Amino acid sequence: MMEYKAPKEAYKGMVREVTIGKGDKTMKIGGETILPLHFFDEGSLPNPPKFALEVLDMEPTDKTQHLMEPFADVISDPIKWAKKCEGFGVDAICLMLVSTDPAEKDAPADGAAQLVKRMVGEIKKPLIVYGSGDEKKDAEVLPKVAQVCAGENLLIGPVQKENFEVVGKAILDNGHVAIAQSPLDINLLKELNVKLCKFLPPERVVIDPLSSALGYGIEYSFSLIERVKQIGVITKDSMTMMPIIANLGDECWKTKQAKENRTQGLLWEGMTALSLYLAGANILVLRHPETLKSIKETIGR
Amino acid sequence: MIIIGENIHVIAKDVSVAIRERNATVIQGLTKEQTQSGANYIDLNVGPMKKDTEETMKWLVNCVQEATDLPLSIDTMNPVAMEAGLKFCRKRALINSASGKTDSKAQMLPLAKKYNADVVVSVMTDKGMPPEVESKIESIMETVAHANELGIPNEDIWVDPIILPVSTAGEGQNIAVGNLEFIRILQDVLPGVKSTVGLSNISNGVPAHLRPILNRTYLVMLGRNGLYSAIADPLDEELMAFMKGELSQITDLIYRTMDGEEIDLSPLPQKEVAYVKTARVLMAQSLYSDAWLEI
Repeated sequence: MMEYKAPKEAYKGMVREVTIGKGDKTMKIGGETILPLHFFDEGSLPNPPKFALEVLDMEPTDKTQHLMEPFADVISDPIKWAKKCEGFGVDAICLMLVSTDPAEKDAPADGAAQLVKRMVGEIKKPLIVYGSGDEKKDAEVLPKVAQVCAGENLLIGPVQKENFEVVGKAILDNGHVAIAQSPLDINLLKELNVKLCKFLPPERVVIDPLSSALGYGIEYSFSLIERVKQIGVITKDSMTMMPIIANLGDECWKTKQAKENRTQGLLWEGMTALSLYLAGANILVLRHPETLKSIKETIGR
Repeated sequence: MIIIGENIHVIAKDVSVAIRERNATVIQGLTKEQTQSGANYIDLNVGPMKKDTEETMKWLVNCVQEATDLPLSIDTMNPVAMEAGLKFCRKRALINSASGKTDSKAQMLPLAKKYNADVVVSVMTDKGMPPEVESKIESIMETVAHANELGIPNEDIWVDPIILPVSTAGEGQNIAVGNLEFIRILQDVLPGVKSTVGLSNISNGVPAHLRPILNRTYLVMLGRNGLYSAIADPLDEELMAFMKGELSQITDLIYRTMDGEEIDLSPLPQKEVAYVKTARVLMAQSLYSDAWLEI
Protein backbone atom coordinates (compact mmCIF):
# COMPACT_ATOMS: atom_id res chain seq x y z
CA MET A 1 0.00 0.00 0.00
CA MET A 2 1.22 3.47 -0.86
CA GLU A 3 1.84 5.69 2.07
CA TYR A 4 0.15 9.10 1.86
CA LYS A 5 2.54 11.97 1.90
CA ALA A 6 1.08 15.40 2.35
CA PRO A 7 2.34 17.86 -0.25
CA LYS A 8 4.67 20.48 1.09
CA GLU A 9 5.09 23.74 -0.80
CA ALA A 10 8.20 25.87 -0.77
CA TYR A 11 7.87 29.49 -1.84
CA LYS A 12 10.38 31.73 -3.54
CA GLY A 13 9.06 35.02 -2.14
CA MET A 14 8.48 36.29 1.36
CA VAL A 15 7.07 39.19 3.31
CA ARG A 16 9.74 41.69 4.31
CA GLU A 17 10.39 42.04 7.99
CA VAL A 18 9.72 45.56 9.20
CA THR A 19 10.78 46.90 12.59
CA ILE A 20 8.78 49.63 14.27
CA GLY A 21 9.92 51.67 17.28
CA LYS A 22 13.37 51.82 18.81
CA GLY A 23 15.31 50.74 21.87
CA ASP A 24 13.36 48.52 24.23
CA LYS A 25 10.06 49.41 22.60
CA THR A 26 10.32 47.76 19.23
CA MET A 27 8.06 45.44 17.36
CA LYS A 28 8.73 43.32 14.30
CA ILE A 29 6.09 42.50 11.75
CA GLY A 30 6.20 40.40 8.61
CA GLY A 31 9.19 38.23 7.76
CA GLU A 32 7.13 35.16 6.89
CA THR A 33 8.20 32.85 4.06
CA ILE A 34 4.86 31.03 3.93
CA LEU A 35 1.32 31.97 3.03
CA PRO A 36 -0.85 33.02 6.00
CA LEU A 37 -1.19 30.12 8.45
CA HIS A 38 0.37 27.60 6.04
CA PHE A 39 2.47 26.14 8.83
CA PHE A 40 2.44 22.78 7.02
CA ASP A 41 4.54 24.24 4.19
CA GLU A 42 8.24 24.84 4.06
CA GLY A 43 9.15 28.12 5.71
CA SER A 44 8.19 30.00 8.81
CA LEU A 45 6.28 32.86 10.37
CA PRO A 46 8.85 34.44 12.68
CA ASN A 47 6.56 37.24 13.81
CA PRO A 48 2.95 36.31 14.56
CA PRO A 49 0.42 39.06 13.76
CA LYS A 50 0.34 41.95 16.21
CA PHE A 51 -2.54 43.88 17.72
CA ALA A 52 -2.86 47.60 18.42
CA LEU A 53 -5.63 49.61 20.05
CA GLU A 54 -6.50 52.99 18.68
CA VAL A 55 -6.50 56.24 20.62
CA LEU A 56 -8.09 59.43 19.32
CA ASP A 57 -6.40 62.79 19.79
CA MET A 58 -9.73 64.40 20.70
CA GLU A 59 -12.87 63.41 22.51
CA PRO A 60 -14.81 61.17 20.09
CA THR A 61 -17.88 62.67 18.49
CA ASP A 62 -19.44 59.23 18.50
CA LYS A 63 -20.75 58.76 22.02
CA THR A 64 -21.91 55.15 21.66
CA GLN A 65 -21.91 54.23 25.30
CA HIS A 66 -20.75 50.63 25.17
CA LEU A 67 -17.84 51.74 22.99
CA MET A 68 -16.79 54.63 25.23
CA GLU A 69 -17.28 52.84 28.53
CA PRO A 70 -13.82 51.21 28.91
CA PHE A 71 -12.16 54.60 28.41
CA ALA A 72 -14.77 56.87 30.00
CA ASP A 73 -12.28 58.22 32.56
CA VAL A 74 -9.51 59.01 30.04
CA ILE A 75 -11.47 60.00 26.97
CA SER A 76 -10.31 63.62 26.96
CA ASP A 77 -6.64 62.79 27.55
CA PRO A 78 -4.99 60.84 24.72
CA ILE A 79 -1.88 60.07 26.78
CA LYS A 80 -3.85 58.55 29.65
CA TRP A 81 -6.01 56.75 27.10
CA ALA A 82 -2.89 55.26 25.52
CA LYS A 83 -1.52 54.20 28.88
CA LYS A 84 -4.79 52.54 29.72
CA CYS A 85 -4.58 50.63 26.43
CA GLU A 86 -1.15 49.36 27.41
CA GLY A 87 -2.80 47.78 30.41
CA PHE A 88 -4.91 45.67 28.06
CA GLY A 89 -1.91 43.90 26.62
CA VAL A 90 -1.47 45.61 23.26
CA ASP A 91 1.59 45.20 21.04
CA ALA A 92 1.38 48.82 19.88
CA ILE A 93 -0.63 52.00 20.25
CA CYS A 94 -2.26 53.59 17.24
CA LEU A 95 -2.82 57.32 17.58
CA MET A 96 -5.44 58.80 15.25
CA LEU A 97 -4.94 62.50 14.59
CA VAL A 98 -8.62 63.05 13.81
CA SER A 99 -8.62 66.58 15.24
CA THR A 100 -6.46 67.73 12.32
CA ASP A 101 -9.19 66.82 9.84
CA PRO A 102 -10.52 69.97 8.13
CA ALA A 103 -13.98 68.42 8.56
CA GLU A 104 -13.39 68.14 12.32
CA LYS A 105 -11.38 70.78 14.20
CA ASP A 106 -8.81 71.43 11.49
CA ALA A 107 -6.26 71.48 14.33
CA PRO A 108 -2.81 72.72 13.29
CA ALA A 109 0.10 70.41 12.47
CA ASP A 110 2.33 71.75 15.24
CA GLY A 111 0.04 70.81 18.10
CA ALA A 112 -0.55 67.37 16.63
CA ALA A 113 3.18 66.77 16.27
CA GLN A 114 3.81 67.87 19.85
CA LEU A 115 1.17 65.44 21.12
CA VAL A 116 2.81 62.59 19.20
CA LYS A 117 6.17 63.52 20.69
CA ARG A 118 4.81 63.56 24.24
CA MET A 119 3.09 60.25 23.69
CA VAL A 120 6.29 58.62 22.42
CA GLY A 121 7.94 59.73 25.65
CA GLU A 122 5.18 58.43 27.89
CA ILE A 123 4.23 55.04 26.49
CA LYS A 124 6.17 51.80 26.60
CA LYS A 125 4.96 50.37 23.31
CA PRO A 126 5.77 51.26 19.69
CA LEU A 127 3.57 53.93 18.16
CA ILE A 128 1.56 54.00 14.96
CA VAL A 129 0.32 57.40 13.83
CA TYR A 130 -2.52 57.94 11.39
CA GLY A 131 -3.31 61.38 9.98
CA SER A 132 -6.90 62.33 9.20
CA GLY A 133 -6.81 60.86 5.71
CA ASP A 134 -7.34 64.29 4.16
CA GLU A 135 -4.49 64.12 1.67
CA LYS A 136 -3.83 67.86 1.65
CA LYS A 137 -3.87 68.30 5.41
CA ASP A 138 -1.86 65.13 5.93
CA ALA A 139 0.80 66.60 3.66
CA GLU A 140 1.29 69.26 6.35
CA VAL A 141 0.64 67.22 9.49
CA LEU A 142 2.54 64.01 8.79
CA PRO A 143 5.86 65.62 7.72
CA LYS A 144 5.69 67.73 10.88
CA VAL A 145 5.13 64.62 13.00
CA ALA A 146 8.03 62.93 11.21
CA GLN A 147 10.37 65.85 11.90
CA VAL A 148 9.43 66.45 15.51
CA CYS A 149 9.82 62.73 16.26
CA ALA A 150 12.93 62.22 14.13
CA GLY A 151 14.67 58.92 14.79
CA GLU A 152 11.78 57.32 16.67
CA ASN A 153 10.99 54.89 13.85
CA LEU A 154 7.25 55.43 14.06
CA LEU A 155 4.81 53.79 11.66
CA ILE A 156 3.23 56.79 9.90
CA GLY A 157 0.41 57.09 7.42
CA PRO A 158 -1.67 57.14 5.41
CA VAL A 159 0.70 57.88 2.55
CA GLN A 160 -1.51 58.23 -0.50
CA LYS A 161 -0.90 58.71 -4.20
CA GLU A 162 -1.74 62.41 -3.86
CA ASN A 163 0.87 63.12 -1.17
CA PHE A 164 3.43 60.31 -1.29
CA GLU A 165 6.25 62.56 -2.42
CA VAL A 166 6.14 65.02 0.45
CA VAL A 167 5.03 62.61 3.19
CA GLY A 168 7.29 59.79 1.98
CA LYS A 169 10.29 62.11 1.84
CA ALA A 170 9.73 63.28 5.44
CA ILE A 171 9.42 59.65 6.56
CA LEU A 172 12.66 58.80 4.78
CA ASP A 173 14.61 61.79 6.08
CA ASN A 174 13.51 61.33 9.68
CA GLY A 175 13.85 57.59 10.04
CA HIS A 176 10.29 56.29 10.14
CA VAL A 177 8.19 53.65 8.37
CA ALA A 178 5.42 54.50 5.88
CA ILE A 179 1.88 53.16 5.68
CA ALA A 180 1.12 53.14 1.95
CA GLN A 181 -2.64 53.33 1.49
CA SER A 182 -4.60 52.77 -1.70
CA PRO A 183 -8.33 52.26 -2.27
CA LEU A 184 -8.97 48.49 -2.36
CA ASP A 185 -7.30 47.82 -5.70
CA ILE A 186 -4.24 45.66 -6.13
CA ASN A 187 -3.01 47.44 -9.25
CA LEU A 188 -3.19 50.87 -7.58
CA LEU A 189 -1.57 49.38 -4.48
CA LYS A 190 1.38 48.15 -6.52
CA GLU A 191 1.65 51.43 -8.41
CA LEU A 192 1.92 53.42 -5.18
CA ASN A 193 4.57 51.06 -3.84
CA VAL A 194 6.57 51.34 -7.07
CA LYS A 195 6.51 55.12 -6.87
CA LEU A 196 7.24 55.24 -3.15
CA CYS A 197 10.09 52.75 -3.37
CA LYS A 198 11.90 54.84 -5.93
CA PHE A 199 13.20 56.78 -2.92
CA LEU A 200 12.09 54.86 0.17
CA PRO A 201 13.62 51.43 0.90
CA PRO A 202 10.90 48.77 0.63
CA GLU A 203 11.80 47.57 4.16
CA ARG A 204 10.25 50.81 5.33
CA VAL A 205 6.84 50.35 3.77
CA VAL A 206 3.73 48.70 5.22
CA ILE A 207 0.62 48.25 3.08
CA ASP A 208 -2.81 49.51 4.16
CA PRO A 209 -5.22 48.10 1.57
CA LEU A 210 -8.22 49.65 3.40
CA SER A 211 -10.16 47.35 5.66
CA SER A 212 -13.90 47.19 5.25
CA ALA A 213 -16.13 45.92 8.06
CA LEU A 214 -18.23 42.80 8.06
CA GLY A 215 -21.31 43.46 5.95
CA TYR A 216 -19.73 46.54 4.41
CA GLY A 217 -17.37 45.01 1.88
CA ILE A 218 -15.09 42.83 3.98
CA GLU A 219 -14.97 40.38 1.05
CA TYR A 220 -12.98 42.93 -0.95
CA SER A 221 -10.49 43.52 1.84
CA PHE A 222 -10.17 39.81 2.50
CA SER A 223 -9.46 38.81 -1.07
CA LEU A 224 -7.15 41.76 -1.61
CA ILE A 225 -5.01 40.92 1.43
CA GLU A 226 -5.01 37.28 0.35
CA ARG A 227 -3.92 38.22 -3.17
CA VAL A 228 -1.17 40.60 -2.01
CA LYS A 229 0.27 37.76 0.06
CA GLN A 230 -0.01 35.26 -2.77
CA ILE A 231 1.67 37.53 -5.29
CA GLY A 232 4.41 38.44 -2.84
CA VAL A 233 5.09 34.99 -1.42
CA ILE A 234 4.37 32.81 -4.45
CA THR A 235 5.53 34.95 -7.37
CA LYS A 236 8.08 37.04 -5.45
CA ASP A 237 6.76 40.36 -6.71
CA SER A 238 9.01 42.76 -4.85
CA MET A 239 6.38 45.49 -4.77
CA THR A 240 3.81 43.44 -2.86
CA MET A 241 6.23 41.80 -0.39
CA MET A 242 5.41 44.26 2.39
CA PRO A 243 3.56 43.47 5.62
CA ILE A 244 -0.08 44.55 5.85
CA ILE A 245 -1.84 46.69 8.41
CA ALA A 246 -5.58 46.18 8.85
CA ASN A 247 -6.99 49.34 10.36
CA LEU A 248 -10.47 48.09 11.09
CA GLY A 249 -11.66 49.42 14.47
CA ASP A 250 -13.18 52.63 13.24
CA GLU A 251 -14.74 50.93 10.20
CA CYS A 252 -16.50 48.44 12.47
CA TRP A 253 -17.74 50.91 15.04
CA LYS A 254 -19.18 53.15 12.33
CA THR A 255 -21.71 50.46 11.49
CA LYS A 256 -25.29 50.57 12.64
CA GLN A 257 -24.97 47.00 13.91
CA ALA A 258 -22.01 47.76 16.17
CA LYS A 259 -23.67 50.82 17.62
CA GLU A 260 -26.91 48.98 18.37
CA ASN A 261 -25.69 47.00 21.36
CA ARG A 262 -22.55 45.89 23.11
CA THR A 263 -22.50 42.20 22.25
CA GLN A 264 -23.23 42.85 18.63
CA GLY A 265 -20.57 45.54 18.46
CA LEU A 266 -17.91 43.31 19.98
CA LEU A 267 -18.81 40.46 17.67
CA TRP A 268 -18.79 42.79 14.67
CA GLU A 269 -15.31 44.01 15.40
CA GLY A 270 -14.14 40.54 16.46
CA MET A 271 -15.36 38.77 13.34
CA THR A 272 -13.93 41.46 11.10
CA ALA A 273 -10.58 41.22 12.86
CA LEU A 274 -10.53 37.43 12.81
CA SER A 275 -11.34 37.36 9.10
CA LEU A 276 -8.59 39.79 8.17
CA TYR A 277 -6.19 37.92 10.46
CA LEU A 278 -6.97 34.76 8.50
CA ALA A 279 -6.48 36.61 5.22
CA GLY A 280 -2.95 37.49 6.31
CA ALA A 281 -2.89 40.89 8.02
CA ASN A 282 0.35 41.40 9.97
CA ILE A 283 -0.93 44.04 12.34
CA LEU A 284 -4.52 44.76 13.26
CA VAL A 285 -5.77 48.00 14.75
CA LEU A 286 -8.82 47.53 16.99
CA ARG A 287 -10.94 49.89 19.02
CA HIS A 288 -12.39 47.93 21.94
CA PRO A 289 -10.25 46.13 24.54
CA GLU A 290 -12.86 43.35 24.85
CA THR A 291 -12.39 42.58 21.16
CA LEU A 292 -8.67 42.38 21.70
CA LYS A 293 -9.19 39.96 24.55
CA SER A 294 -11.62 37.72 22.71
CA ILE A 295 -9.63 37.56 19.50
CA LYS A 296 -6.48 36.66 21.41
CA GLU A 297 -8.39 33.88 23.14
CA THR A 298 -9.80 32.71 19.81
CA ILE A 299 -6.46 32.41 18.10
CA GLY A 300 -4.93 30.98 21.25
CA ARG A 301 -2.05 33.18 22.11
CA MET B 1 -2.71 40.51 -40.38
CA ILE B 2 -5.81 42.23 -41.67
CA ILE B 3 -6.14 45.65 -40.05
CA ILE B 4 -9.64 47.07 -39.75
CA GLY B 5 -9.14 50.83 -39.33
CA GLU B 6 -10.98 51.95 -36.20
CA ASN B 7 -10.83 55.72 -36.55
CA ILE B 8 -14.36 56.42 -37.78
CA HIS B 9 -15.99 55.97 -34.42
CA VAL B 10 -18.98 57.91 -33.05
CA ILE B 11 -17.45 58.13 -29.59
CA ALA B 12 -14.99 60.59 -31.14
CA LYS B 13 -16.67 63.99 -30.97
CA ASP B 14 -15.49 65.21 -34.39
CA VAL B 15 -16.83 62.05 -36.03
CA SER B 16 -20.26 62.25 -34.41
CA VAL B 17 -20.56 65.93 -35.31
CA ALA B 18 -19.40 65.25 -38.88
CA ILE B 19 -21.99 62.51 -39.34
CA ARG B 20 -24.77 64.67 -37.90
CA GLU B 21 -23.83 67.66 -40.08
CA ARG B 22 -23.05 65.52 -43.13
CA ASN B 23 -19.52 66.88 -43.24
CA ALA B 24 -17.90 64.72 -45.91
CA THR B 25 -14.50 66.39 -45.58
CA VAL B 26 -13.90 65.07 -42.07
CA ILE B 27 -15.13 61.55 -42.82
CA GLN B 28 -13.28 61.27 -46.12
CA GLY B 29 -10.14 62.70 -44.52
CA LEU B 30 -10.15 59.92 -41.92
CA THR B 31 -10.92 57.38 -44.64
CA LYS B 32 -8.00 58.45 -46.83
CA GLU B 33 -5.53 58.65 -43.97
CA GLN B 34 -6.35 55.11 -42.89
CA THR B 35 -6.27 53.80 -46.45
CA GLN B 36 -2.87 55.36 -47.10
CA SER B 37 -1.53 53.97 -43.82
CA GLY B 38 -2.20 50.44 -44.97
CA ALA B 39 -5.57 49.53 -43.44
CA ASN B 40 -7.37 46.64 -45.13
CA TYR B 41 -10.90 47.56 -44.06
CA ILE B 42 -12.54 50.77 -42.88
CA ASP B 43 -14.67 50.27 -39.78
CA LEU B 44 -17.76 52.45 -39.47
CA ASN B 45 -18.64 52.41 -35.79
CA VAL B 46 -21.98 54.19 -35.75
CA GLY B 47 -23.20 53.14 -32.32
CA PRO B 48 -26.89 52.24 -31.92
CA MET B 49 -27.93 54.82 -34.59
CA LYS B 50 -31.58 55.06 -33.61
CA LYS B 51 -32.38 58.31 -35.46
CA ASP B 52 -32.56 58.84 -39.25
CA THR B 53 -31.04 55.41 -39.57
CA GLU B 54 -31.63 54.75 -43.27
CA GLU B 55 -30.66 58.22 -44.46
CA THR B 56 -27.55 58.45 -42.32
CA MET B 57 -26.21 55.02 -43.20
CA LYS B 58 -26.74 55.65 -46.90
CA TRP B 59 -24.91 58.95 -46.71
CA LEU B 60 -22.05 57.60 -44.60
CA VAL B 61 -21.39 54.43 -46.60
CA ASN B 62 -21.43 56.30 -49.89
CA CYS B 63 -19.30 59.09 -48.50
CA VAL B 64 -16.60 56.66 -47.35
CA GLN B 65 -16.71 54.63 -50.56
CA GLU B 66 -16.06 57.76 -52.60
CA ALA B 67 -12.76 58.12 -50.75
CA THR B 68 -11.51 54.53 -50.71
CA ASP B 69 -11.60 51.23 -52.57
CA LEU B 70 -11.32 49.29 -49.33
CA PRO B 71 -14.17 47.09 -48.11
CA LEU B 72 -16.18 48.32 -45.13
CA SER B 73 -16.88 46.90 -41.70
CA ILE B 74 -20.26 48.09 -40.47
CA ASP B 75 -19.99 48.32 -36.71
CA THR B 76 -23.30 48.50 -34.85
CA MET B 77 -25.46 46.36 -32.61
CA ASN B 78 -28.58 47.69 -34.33
CA PRO B 79 -29.68 45.27 -37.08
CA VAL B 80 -31.72 47.99 -38.79
CA ALA B 81 -28.67 50.24 -39.11
CA MET B 82 -26.63 47.22 -40.19
CA GLU B 83 -28.98 46.34 -43.01
CA ALA B 84 -29.24 49.97 -44.07
CA GLY B 85 -25.46 50.09 -44.38
CA LEU B 86 -25.04 46.72 -46.08
CA LYS B 87 -27.45 47.72 -48.87
CA PHE B 88 -25.00 50.31 -50.13
CA CYS B 89 -21.71 48.45 -49.74
CA ARG B 90 -20.06 47.92 -53.11
CA LYS B 91 -17.53 45.40 -51.85
CA ARG B 92 -18.09 42.33 -49.73
CA ALA B 93 -18.68 43.87 -46.34
CA LEU B 94 -17.97 42.75 -42.79
CA ILE B 95 -20.84 42.66 -40.31
CA ASN B 96 -19.46 43.83 -36.98
CA SER B 97 -20.89 42.18 -35.03
CA ALA B 98 -23.20 39.31 -34.20
CA SER B 99 -23.08 37.11 -31.11
CA GLY B 100 -24.69 34.12 -29.44
CA LYS B 101 -27.44 36.27 -27.97
CA THR B 102 -30.94 35.24 -29.03
CA ASP B 103 -31.71 38.59 -30.67
CA SER B 104 -28.45 38.68 -32.52
CA LYS B 105 -28.86 35.12 -33.80
CA ALA B 106 -32.36 35.94 -35.05
CA GLN B 107 -31.75 39.38 -36.55
CA MET B 108 -28.05 39.95 -37.20
CA LEU B 109 -26.64 36.61 -38.35
CA PRO B 110 -29.15 36.11 -41.21
CA LEU B 111 -27.91 39.38 -42.75
CA ALA B 112 -24.60 37.70 -43.54
CA LYS B 113 -26.40 35.25 -45.80
CA LYS B 114 -28.79 37.80 -47.24
CA TYR B 115 -26.07 40.28 -48.21
CA ASN B 116 -23.29 37.76 -48.84
CA ALA B 117 -21.12 39.37 -46.18
CA ASP B 118 -18.51 38.20 -43.73
CA VAL B 119 -19.58 38.40 -40.11
CA VAL B 120 -17.84 38.95 -36.79
CA VAL B 121 -19.31 36.59 -34.20
CA SER B 122 -18.42 37.22 -30.57
CA VAL B 123 -18.43 34.73 -27.71
CA MET B 124 -21.14 36.70 -25.92
CA THR B 125 -24.37 34.86 -25.05
CA ASP B 126 -27.63 35.67 -23.28
CA LYS B 127 -25.82 34.87 -20.05
CA GLY B 128 -23.19 37.51 -20.79
CA MET B 129 -19.52 36.99 -21.27
CA PRO B 130 -18.32 33.43 -20.67
CA PRO B 131 -15.63 33.69 -17.99
CA GLU B 132 -13.17 30.95 -18.94
CA VAL B 133 -11.44 29.87 -22.14
CA GLU B 134 -13.40 26.59 -22.08
CA SER B 135 -16.77 28.30 -21.74
CA LYS B 136 -15.85 30.78 -24.47
CA ILE B 137 -15.00 27.90 -26.79
CA GLU B 138 -18.22 26.13 -25.87
CA SER B 139 -20.35 29.19 -26.57
CA ILE B 140 -18.64 30.05 -29.87
CA MET B 141 -19.04 26.46 -31.08
CA GLU B 142 -22.77 26.69 -30.45
CA THR B 143 -23.11 30.01 -32.23
CA VAL B 144 -20.98 28.94 -35.18
CA ALA B 145 -23.04 25.74 -35.50
CA HIS B 146 -26.14 27.90 -35.60
CA ALA B 147 -24.58 30.11 -38.29
CA ASN B 148 -23.65 27.01 -40.32
CA GLU B 149 -27.30 25.95 -40.21
CA LEU B 150 -28.23 29.32 -41.67
CA GLY B 151 -25.87 28.56 -44.54
CA ILE B 152 -22.93 30.67 -43.37
CA PRO B 153 -19.68 28.69 -43.77
CA ASN B 154 -16.85 28.84 -41.24
CA GLU B 155 -14.72 30.79 -43.72
CA ASP B 156 -17.13 33.74 -43.55
CA ILE B 157 -17.09 33.89 -39.74
CA TRP B 158 -14.63 36.08 -37.84
CA VAL B 159 -14.64 34.94 -34.23
CA ASP B 160 -14.15 37.63 -31.55
CA PRO B 161 -13.12 36.42 -28.05
CA ILE B 162 -13.84 39.93 -26.58
CA ILE B 163 -10.79 41.72 -25.26
CA LEU B 164 -11.12 43.35 -21.84
CA PRO B 165 -8.81 45.87 -20.16
CA VAL B 166 -5.64 44.33 -18.75
CA SER B 167 -5.73 46.93 -15.98
CA THR B 168 -8.96 45.62 -14.46
CA ALA B 169 -7.97 44.73 -10.92
CA GLY B 170 -7.96 41.04 -10.26
CA GLU B 171 -9.07 39.49 -13.51
CA GLY B 172 -7.77 41.70 -16.34
CA GLN B 173 -4.44 39.95 -16.76
CA ASN B 174 -5.87 36.44 -16.55
CA ILE B 175 -8.41 37.31 -19.23
CA ALA B 176 -5.63 38.69 -21.44
CA VAL B 177 -3.75 35.40 -21.10
CA GLY B 178 -6.97 33.43 -21.67
CA ASN B 179 -7.66 35.24 -24.92
CA LEU B 180 -4.18 34.43 -26.20
CA GLU B 181 -4.91 30.79 -25.48
CA PHE B 182 -8.34 31.06 -27.12
CA ILE B 183 -6.81 32.35 -30.36
CA ARG B 184 -4.11 29.67 -30.23
CA ILE B 185 -6.57 26.77 -30.12
CA LEU B 186 -9.35 28.27 -32.26
CA GLN B 187 -8.32 26.61 -35.54
CA ASP B 188 -8.27 23.18 -33.92
CA VAL B 189 -11.78 23.65 -32.62
CA LEU B 190 -13.38 25.40 -35.58
CA PRO B 191 -11.25 24.77 -38.67
CA GLY B 192 -11.48 27.49 -41.29
CA VAL B 193 -12.94 30.27 -39.14
CA LYS B 194 -11.21 33.61 -39.12
CA SER B 195 -10.72 35.71 -36.04
CA THR B 196 -10.68 39.33 -34.94
CA VAL B 197 -10.38 41.47 -31.80
CA GLY B 198 -11.18 45.01 -30.71
CA LEU B 199 -7.53 45.58 -29.89
CA SER B 200 -7.58 48.93 -28.11
CA ASN B 201 -9.84 47.59 -25.41
CA ILE B 202 -6.79 45.87 -23.89
CA SER B 203 -5.53 49.31 -22.82
CA ASN B 204 -8.83 50.91 -21.88
CA GLY B 205 -8.50 52.79 -18.59
CA VAL B 206 -4.71 53.04 -18.90
CA PRO B 207 -3.11 56.53 -19.06
CA ALA B 208 -3.30 57.67 -22.72
CA HIS B 209 0.45 57.86 -23.35
CA LEU B 210 0.91 54.25 -22.22
CA ARG B 211 -1.84 52.75 -24.37
CA PRO B 212 0.01 52.30 -27.70
CA ILE B 213 2.72 50.01 -26.32
CA LEU B 214 0.13 47.73 -24.73
CA ASN B 215 -1.87 47.62 -27.98
CA ARG B 216 1.18 46.88 -30.13
CA THR B 217 2.65 44.23 -27.85
CA TYR B 218 -0.66 42.43 -27.47
CA LEU B 219 -1.24 42.45 -31.22
CA VAL B 220 2.19 40.91 -31.82
CA MET B 221 1.37 38.23 -29.23
CA LEU B 222 -2.07 37.52 -30.69
CA GLY B 223 -0.57 37.47 -34.18
CA ARG B 224 1.91 34.81 -33.17
CA ASN B 225 -0.98 32.68 -31.94
CA GLY B 226 -2.77 32.94 -35.27
CA LEU B 227 -5.02 35.97 -35.02
CA TYR B 228 -6.38 36.79 -38.49
CA SER B 229 -7.40 40.42 -38.07
CA ALA B 230 -7.79 43.26 -35.59
CA ILE B 231 -9.82 46.42 -35.29
CA ALA B 232 -6.98 48.80 -34.58
CA ASP B 233 -5.43 52.16 -35.32
CA PRO B 234 -3.61 52.04 -38.67
CA LEU B 235 -2.25 55.54 -38.03
CA ASP B 236 -0.01 54.04 -35.32
CA GLU B 237 3.13 53.72 -37.45
CA GLU B 238 4.95 51.46 -35.02
CA LEU B 239 1.99 49.10 -34.86
CA MET B 240 1.91 48.90 -38.64
CA ALA B 241 5.69 48.40 -38.73
CA PHE B 242 5.29 45.34 -36.49
CA MET B 243 2.63 43.99 -38.82
CA LYS B 244 4.95 44.41 -41.79
CA GLY B 245 7.61 42.44 -39.94
CA GLU B 246 9.93 45.42 -39.71
CA LEU B 247 10.66 45.20 -35.98
CA SER B 248 11.78 41.60 -35.94
CA GLN B 249 14.20 41.97 -33.04
CA ILE B 250 11.55 43.30 -30.69
CA THR B 251 9.07 40.76 -32.01
CA ASP B 252 11.56 38.04 -31.12
CA LEU B 253 11.95 39.44 -27.58
CA ILE B 254 8.16 39.44 -27.17
CA TYR B 255 7.97 35.83 -28.36
CA ARG B 256 10.70 34.74 -25.97
CA THR B 257 8.90 36.45 -23.10
CA MET B 258 5.74 34.58 -24.08
CA ASP B 259 7.75 31.35 -23.86
CA GLY B 260 8.64 32.17 -20.26
CA GLU B 261 12.28 32.98 -20.89
CA GLU B 262 13.87 35.25 -18.26
CA ILE B 263 15.39 37.83 -20.55
CA ASP B 264 18.32 39.80 -19.18
CA LEU B 265 17.25 43.40 -19.57
CA SER B 266 20.55 45.05 -18.69
CA PRO B 267 22.17 45.04 -22.16
CA LEU B 268 18.95 46.02 -23.97
CA PRO B 269 18.07 49.50 -25.24
CA GLN B 270 15.24 51.28 -23.41
CA LYS B 271 12.66 50.62 -26.08
CA GLU B 272 13.32 46.88 -26.11
CA VAL B 273 13.16 46.81 -22.31
CA ALA B 274 9.76 48.50 -22.40
CA TYR B 275 8.40 45.88 -24.80
CA VAL B 276 9.67 42.98 -22.70
CA LYS B 277 8.13 44.50 -19.55
CA THR B 278 4.86 44.99 -21.39
CA ALA B 279 4.84 41.40 -22.63
CA ARG B 280 5.49 40.20 -19.06
CA VAL B 281 2.47 42.13 -17.83
CA LEU B 282 0.29 40.80 -20.67
CA MET B 283 1.41 37.24 -19.87
CA ALA B 284 0.52 37.90 -16.19
CA GLN B 285 4.10 37.08 -15.25
CA SER B 286 4.16 40.29 -13.26
CA LEU B 287 1.26 42.03 -11.53
CA TYR B 288 -0.13 44.96 -13.52
CA SER B 289 0.07 48.52 -12.31
CA ASP B 290 0.12 51.77 -14.30
CA ALA B 291 3.78 52.01 -13.27
CA TRP B 292 4.75 48.76 -15.04
CA LEU B 293 7.41 50.43 -17.18
CA GLU B 294 8.99 52.14 -14.16
CA ILE B 295 10.02 49.01 -12.30
